[in-house]
Amino acid sequence: MDASEIGPLFVPPWAGHGLGWMSWLPIGLAALAIGIALVAIVRGRLAPPIATLGLVVLPLGAYALGSMLMLEESKGTEFCGSCHVMGPLVRSLKANDGSLASIHYAKGAVPTQEACYVCHSGYGIWGTFDAKMAGVGHMIRTVTGRYETPIRLAGTFDIQSCLGCHAAAESFRKVEEHQPLDVQQALLSGEMGCTGDCHDVAHPEEALMGGDGAGR
Amino acid sequence: MTRLSALLVIAAMAALIPMALDTNGQTAIGFAFVGFPLVGLAILVYGYQRWREGAFSERSRSGDDRTA
Repeated sequence: MDASEIGPLFVPPWAGHGLGWMSWLPIGLAALAIGIALVAIVRGRLAPPIATLGLVVLPLGAYALGSMLMLEESKGTEFCGSCHVMGPLVRSLKANDGSLASIHYAKGAVPTQEACYVCHSGYGIWGTFDAKMAGVGHMIRTVTGRYETPIRLAGTFDIQSCLGCHAAAESFRKVEEHQPLDVQQALLSGEMGCTGDCHDVAHPEEALMGGDGAGR
Repeated sequence: MTRLSALLVIAAMAALIPMALDTNGQTAIGFAFVGFPLVGLAILVYGYQRWREGAFSERSRSGDDRTA
């Protein structure tokens, strides 16, 4: 997004800031490790402290920092959309096609840079943990091609993600259908979901069918 | 052995750098499913080499092995 084209007010504060140091630190450690490894290849042997540094400590450090970077960056909508099957879903969000997810995205009701993550991870650290585990599962399925279209959510959608914003909203509480106690119990127990019965499915069916390109 | 370990480290770092520069599904998959096993293997190979050299033996740890 270029501020000169749309005006500086409309550039989100996160745009362009990135995680500079988090990207460059693992690269710096990796460069040092590569340097030491190259010397090891040329000479065939290194003093044990230098070899341990270059072949164990620096690679482990680089991978630890790289993992932190990946965990952080994988919250991004663009990251999700970069995989073949997710591309159409992210394009549909941005197209404001009237689907529940795109309405939230277009209104800014969810942070647009982390829209997928915000809705698909539950609350608290276990929500984050579950989302990361699910993400690893998605990566494995992407690599092995073990997925079917239309893609479906594994398990039930955690409506705490909806209630986190809507529960206290006057407009939500005033809706007659939300008020009966049995409906509230059914929703909280997971017997009933927000989408499907009452509200439309969050993403359009054609987007759930996958696509031929990435969404970046 | 040192050369093999060094080659594995270089290959692992080659999987990390693209991910750090541009994190997307493809680079993340390379990092997680190619880079991580390579780093693990590099450390195992290096550890095995050090073990063969007697680095983890009692004599080496007590400082008696001065001929190594």
